[in-house]
Amino acid sequence: MLTMHNVKKIFRTDLVETHALRDFNLQVDEGDFVAVTGPSGSGKTTFLNIAGLLETFEGGTYELDGKNVSNLSDKQRSQLRNEKIGFIFQSFNLIPDLDLFDNVDVPLRYRGFNSAERKKRIENSLELVGLANRMKHLPSQLSGGQQQRVAIARALAGSPRFLLADEPTGNLDTKMALSVMELLKEINDTGTTIVMVTHDQDLAKQAKRNIYVRDGQVSELSEVVSLEHAANA
Amino acid sequence: MNINKWEIGPIFRALMRNKVGAVLIAIQIAVTMTIIVNSIFIIIERSKLMQRESGIDDANSFYITNTGFGDEFDSKATTIADLELIRNTPGVIDAVQINAIPNSGSGWSMSFQTEPGENKEDQGAAIYMVDEHATKALDIEVIAGEDFTPSDVRWRENGTRDWPDTVLITKVLAESLFPDTPWQEAVGKTMYISQTEPMIIKGIVDKIQAPWVGWSDLEHSVLTPEITQFSSTRYFIRTQAGERDRLMPEIEEALASANKQRIIRGLRSVEETRERSYRGDAAMIKILSTTMVILTIVTALGIVGLASFSVNRRKKQIGTRRALGASQSAIVRYFMLENFLISSVGVIIGAVLTIGLNMVLVNVFSLPSLDWYFVPAGMLVLWLVGQIAVFGPAKKAANIPPALATRTV
Repeated sequence: MLTMHNVKKIFRTDLVETHALRDFNLQVDEGDFVAVTGPSGSGKTTFLNIAGLLETFEGGTYELDGKNVSNLSDKQRSQLRNEKIGFIFQSFNLIPDLDLFDNVDVPLRYRGFNSAERKKRIENSLELVGLANRMKHLPSQLSGGQQQRVAIARALAGSPRFLLADEPTGNLDTKMALSVMELLKEINDTGTTIVMVTHDQDLAKQAKRNIYVRDGQVSELSEVVSLEHAANA
Repeated sequence: MNINKWEIGPIFRALMRNKVGAVLIAIQIAVTMTIIVNSIFIIIERSKLMQRESGIDDANSFYITNTGFGDEFDSKATTIADLELIRNTPGVIDAVQINAIPNSGSGWSMSFQTEPGENKEDQGAAIYMVDEHATKALDIEVIAGEDFTPSDVRWRENGTRDWPDTVLITKVLAESLFPDTPWQEAVGKTMYISQTEPMIIKGIVDKIQAPWVGWSDLEHSVLTPEITQFSSTRYFIRTQAGERDRLMPEIEEALASANKQRIIRGLRSVEETRERSYRGDAAMIKILSTTMVILTIVTALGIVGLASFSVNRRKKQIGTRRALGASQSAIVRYFMLENFLISSVGVIIGAVLTIGLNMVLVNVFSLPSLDWYFVPAGMLVLWLVGQIAVFGPAKKAANIPPALATRTV
């Protein structure tokens, strides 16, 4: 699903060069649920941005769903993001002037779906996160956990094969965080590949697989199977 | 082009939830459109007035006033001598004594009617007292009937109340006096001045405007064959092309030298006279044009300001949209559409205000009604101004990187 080989990312200013990723190697298989942990400044978010085609990189290769994305144009990257990747952000990133329906509608419009198709997808995804009855509410009328659920609905509405979550529970209390995590696991169970960046080791342990990023490299890779998955197995 | 990608509904609903800035810009657009459209209409109307031809050879003509003084001043002899001197000056095509100058702002007018008696329908017309040299000197053409001959011309003394028997009139006056017959048939007919005094229309000239440029009957003119024997008279001189400026001081000097019993003054070209008469209109055009330009710039800057503020305020949102799959062109389209919607509200209100202001101008200042196409043209222009103004901020927004979506500050 995702293969990075020797990926490099350098941030330059007039005075200093910062190697955010150095020879970053990672493979994520279809249906995986990978939690990415590591200290602040280790390169987690840079990895996420490159994985989500939000940023370019200097060296190495990156294949997403079998397609080399190293030299795509901005337009091609936008299209690929829209079709293959769903994003979940720490601060939810909902558009405050749009109600839930219109928020979930945003990526679907860029896909060019017709009105009926969009409506069906919006209703289904909001139904999935349990907010179908609040479609006309504004984000400010919801709790943090509900807002993150809307963001998940928005990420899922386009049926992406790959979900990228950047600290999805970072702004939530423990109860809400667990609820969102449960939702992510349910989504993963349907076959959607998930890569989640988090600081929370407890949440990370609930993923199928953990990777640890330090100094821009995957320094430790361990496969963790949650108790629940072990029980199922 | 996939219309499903256009976010008209969400943009409109978002604007409705956050409308203060948008409403202010829409009002600014409406006011700008109202003023611009009415200003352009007034400018076009004024320009049309200014472009009307006087009918005479403006470019090569000038005039000068001769004012005699003292008991020994012989007006008649002086006029004869002066006209002979001027007409024989090399470079002069012809000259005529005349009581008023077209477009000068001062002259004589009388009422003319086709039936004698009181309370008959009449037409006002300017009167030019001239001799048989008038058509050549003024560069007008007799297009029906006959020109004056020397025998038609009489001397008019101070206090004379009656009028010559024959006249030349303009084609437009002929059409006004005899609306039911072709204008050519006015030749030989009788019209009446001072309600009862008959005048036979000897000929019809193509065109010579009255002295008053703001008069509705500007092209109603009558030429009477008479030379005034007044103490103050005016000579109208037409020169060969390019000779006017040389001859103006030369003839002034020659006339002043020829007779010391009078003052030669008021030397002025017809072009300058016309320019002076339309000076108010020209000034109004300049003021309205300047106002329009300033207002358009202010409105465009307002749109740029609102859009730039909006882009800065929504950087994170734009980054998120980019992360969710918006291409750079989709971001540009978003802001262009948003501006189009705001401008649409502005121009619709503007259309109503434009028509309203025009109705006020029609009632208060007797301006003509706005031609219908001015309103849609104004809407189109304001739409375009909005789209051009918002393009810069929209391009700036499109350059916001999608990675901004994952930044927490």
